[in-house]
Amino acid sequence: MSSDINERVEENIDEPAPQRAAGLWRDAIRDLRKRPTVIISLLVIIAVLAIGFFPSLFTGTNPKACDISLNKAPAAPGHPFGFSHEGCDYYAQTIYGAGPSIQLSLMVVVGTLIIGGLLGILAGFYGGWLDVVFSRAVDVFNSIPFLLGAILLLTMFRDLSIPFLSTRLQAIIPAVITLIIFGWTSTMRLVRASVIEARNLDYVQAARSLGASNRRLMFRHILPNAIAPVVSLIPLSIAGMISVEATLSFLGLGVRKPEITWGLMIDDATKWFVNGYPMLLLIPSAFLIATVLAFVLLGDALRDALDPKLR
Amino acid sequence: MSIDLDRSDDNAVAGLPGYRDDAALLEVDDLRVEFHTRDGIARAVNGVDLRLTDGQTVAVVGESGSGKSVTAQAIMGILEEPPARVAGGEIRYRGVNLLTLSADQRRRIRANHIAMVFQDALSALNPVWTVGFQLSELFRTHRGMSRKDAKRRSIELLDMVRIPAAAQRVNEYPHQFSGGMRQRVMIAMALALDPKVLIADEPTTALDVTVQAQIMRLLAEIQQERHMGMILITHDLGVVADVADDITVMYAGRAVEQAGVIDTFATPAHPYTKALLRSIPRLDVKGQQLEVIAGLPPTLTDIPPGCAFAPRCTYAQDICRTDTPTLRTVSDGRAAACHFAKEVMTDV
Amino acid sequence: MGRYVIRRLLQAVLTLFFVLFLLHYLLSLAIQVNGNPARTFFGDKPVTAEQLAAVEAKFGTDDPCLDTIGDPCLGMFGKRMGDWLTLDFGTTFHGYSVTEQIAQAVPPTLILFAISTAVWVLIGITAGVLAAMKRGRFFDYLVRTGTTFTVAVPTFLLLVITQQLVGVSLGNWARSTFGRDSFLGIIFQPSYDHDHPFLSLLVPGILLGAFGIAGITRLSRTSMLENLRADFVRTAKAKGLRPRRVTVVHTLRNSLIPVITLIGFAMADALGGTVITEGIYSIPGMGGLAFSATRDNDLTMVIAIVAILSVSFMLVTLIIDLLYAVLDPRIRYE
Repeated sequence: MSSDINERVEENIDEPAPQRAAGLWRDAIRDLRKRPTVIISLLVIIAVLAIGFFPSLFTGTNPKACDISLNKAPAAPGHPFGFSHEGCDYYAQTIYGAGPSIQLSLMVVVGTLIIGGLLGILAGFYGGWLDVVFSRAVDVFNSIPFLLGAILLLTMFRDLSIPFLSTRLQAIIPAVITLIIFGWTSTMRLVRASVIEARNLDYVQAARSLGASNRRLMFRHILPNAIAPVVSLIPLSIAGMISVEATLSFLGLGVRKPEITWGLMIDDATKWFVNGYPMLLLIPSAFLIATVLAFVLLGDALRDALDPKLR
Repeated sequence: MSIDLDRSDDNAVAGLPGYRDDAALLEVDDLRVEFHTRDGIARAVNGVDLRLTDGQTVAVVGESGSGKSVTAQAIMGILEEPPARVAGGEIRYRGVNLLTLSADQRRRIRANHIAMVFQDALSALNPVWTVGFQLSELFRTHRGMSRKDAKRRSIELLDMVRIPAAAQRVNEYPHQFSGGMRQRVMIAMALALDPKVLIADEPTTALDVTVQAQIMRLLAEIQQERHMGMILITHDLGVVADVADDITVMYAGRAVEQAGVIDTFATPAHPYTKALLRSIPRLDVKGQQLEVIAGLPPTLTDIPPGCAFAPRCTYAQDICRTDTPTLRTVSDGRAAACHFAKEVMTDV
Repeated sequence: MGRYVIRRLLQAVLTLFFVLFLLHYLLSLAIQVNGNPARTFFGDKPVTAEQLAAVEAKFGTDDPCLDTIGDPCLGMFGKRMGDWLTLDFGTTFHGYSVTEQIAQAVPPTLILFAISTAVWVLIGITAGVLAAMKRGRFFDYLVRTGTTFTVAVPTFLLLVITQQLVGVSLGNWARSTFGRDSFLGIIFQPSYDHDHPFLSLLVPGILLGAFGIAGITRLSRTSMLENLRADFVRTAKAKGLRPRRVTVVHTLRNSLIPVITLIGFAMADALGGTVITEGIYSIPGMGGLAFSATRDNDLTMVIAIVAILSVSFMLVTLIIDLLYAVLDPRIRYE
């Protein structure tokens, strides 16, 4: 008799959690579908991702086939963006420049999500000593300003080469690791806060009182709700990382040569900006801004759509 | 507690157009308030009449969305306009139509003559200022008192609402008080300038039952002492039975029944009132299902033609769906907005 | 309140200890992995063991723990902490005292930060608050677009373009039209002018303010919007208080509390941003030092600057936390 009731109650308690989360997502997607900024941003993002992962689809020219005699030459048939100051095809460079930044940013965001997310769930759920230790760790890492820490670490290990990795990975892994090391804290805090909030919700208490295991509670009940604020931050984080990567490349610390990124192109192009060759700076800048802007607009829209308070 | 606060000339109502010493304390005539929302125009208040005399307690009863709070806020003049808009009617305080006054004139009438007590004192009080500061503000703004004098009056006020150790507690913050104490602070704030009209918007809803009783008793005492008129907004019929003289029942922005409390409770003249009374759980009736009123109140942007209550009414007939009943006198001192009021009254 | 302060102070001290240890550990690790920097001092020249040992001693890199990767080098840590407490940050590879160089570099950075803080508060908060009060109108739209713009355009790009357009082009025009020492001529400079420290830092200071202003403006706006609809604001109106008092004493006062914490975050962004800003504008501040130190791979200098800036940041965060408790009584009684 009582087990029947328990089952029914269990069912009903399981119901609200996914439904509640699903409702929020469904509403959010419906909301977002209608907005033109979202659609345009998505298109830009897809385009940039395509360029980043499949550059050969967009140009047949080798960006590293440079002819110094063509330095800063203007646009010509087959070379719509002209030539860089070293005589490389600028269009090819721009196309190939997308890849490292995109891949780096995606890897960093995934990395911070996993590490920050895991630590956040554990700290938020178990509380106690675990929470104290992890939160102190967050404090320590947060005390070193993000960019400063990245500059420090990258300078220190600038000449380090990691064996067995492809040139592309060699070029971006140091920056990826550095940015994850100094970037995991914000995700951790966010997840921890969401988990703590979700932990105290009625339906979680109910599931717990019915004997749901901790792991089940964490992943089946708390996570779906706690994850919403984090998801809305993903595009914004990607935007941020692309920006940071460009900044680091500009400082000579980011993606390493011989890989190309827009940041490096901008660095090279700076001195020519007012000296007769503004396009060298403007072209990679435009691409950079367009990419970051698309992610930012998407991220903002996503955050507004998922914020239950604004509904 | 001394009642003879001197009102500075600025806050006097006597000079305002329409003022008559012998006019009713507060009269609301055919008040209409609209809200302009994304989904259309919500008619929150649809022609409400109200009358309040000195020393009288009028209870305004209704579900959420019936328009009772909006009416109160319209009387106070604190509606957000936009999106709200007073679309018609008059609100007369001793004969002066408040809706024709300037914003500044209305501001000076607030708290001085007409004051309001809100529901949840924790959110209704500013968490970052002390209770004393928030009380003193009233005296310093409306009476031009010095900080020291204002503080002294504030302590007296806290005493009056029976908060112990008033002299110390005046320096404390709202979150340091218990729920009941906080509500007393709100009452003290409302009564600080000795208003003639007190509007209490669900003053006890957020409190436990025992505390509720204390607060209501306090309000009743003070009202008697000062011969104030009180509008008590509530959905708790038990409280109404205890303290109110007259009752106005609101539904979908309209007053559907108005009468003395005793008459109304004994023989309601409107199906909604009747259903409300029937849905109160009774201690002497066991083992039966609780009565509910089927259906939901209409969305205010989409009020159906005819009587708004018709879809949920057991007395409804065809005429109810086409002909909107107006508030009509059904017997001595009683009014109801129903085509079949007489039947409702005589039905047991 | 007292307990809160003490607790916060203890936390800060503990965190400080760990931060310094972390920095020390990273530095040791770098030396362990990259090889002893004393060797690079000699370039390609042949070197005897005694010469090497002497240079190592001079740079303080002669501890054997540096030969094992991962060794936390606690002895060195103690010594380094001792040195740092007496403000001895070692010597750069070129033989200069790090402490002296940093001391000289502090004033321009301070000026830069003063300007950017002014930007955050005067422009950021004001814009956010006004946008909230004029919600839905053109100004609100303008402000929101503006914040999106500062987030979408990487600041280094903004700096570079501004430096070229404003510093060089506009500046040249101003100098040729109004003279070298004219007001406009001084402001529109592509680099630091130590005859006019404040004025020539005005433009880069404002741009440095772009690091983090978006967050401040947005939070001010959101916070204000929330509080405009708050119950206690309704009560304040019901009390018949004058509109301006309601806005300032009640709405604004409550809205600004969370913004204070965000100034801390903005500062974090700006501390990193100062390296870029000063690097691009050749400002001889701490960021500029760090900028050239990273180019030269001068770890001693970089670590010293990062340590000092981190400690300053922690101090600022501590002050902000305490300020927060002063402003919001609910925090004090936790």
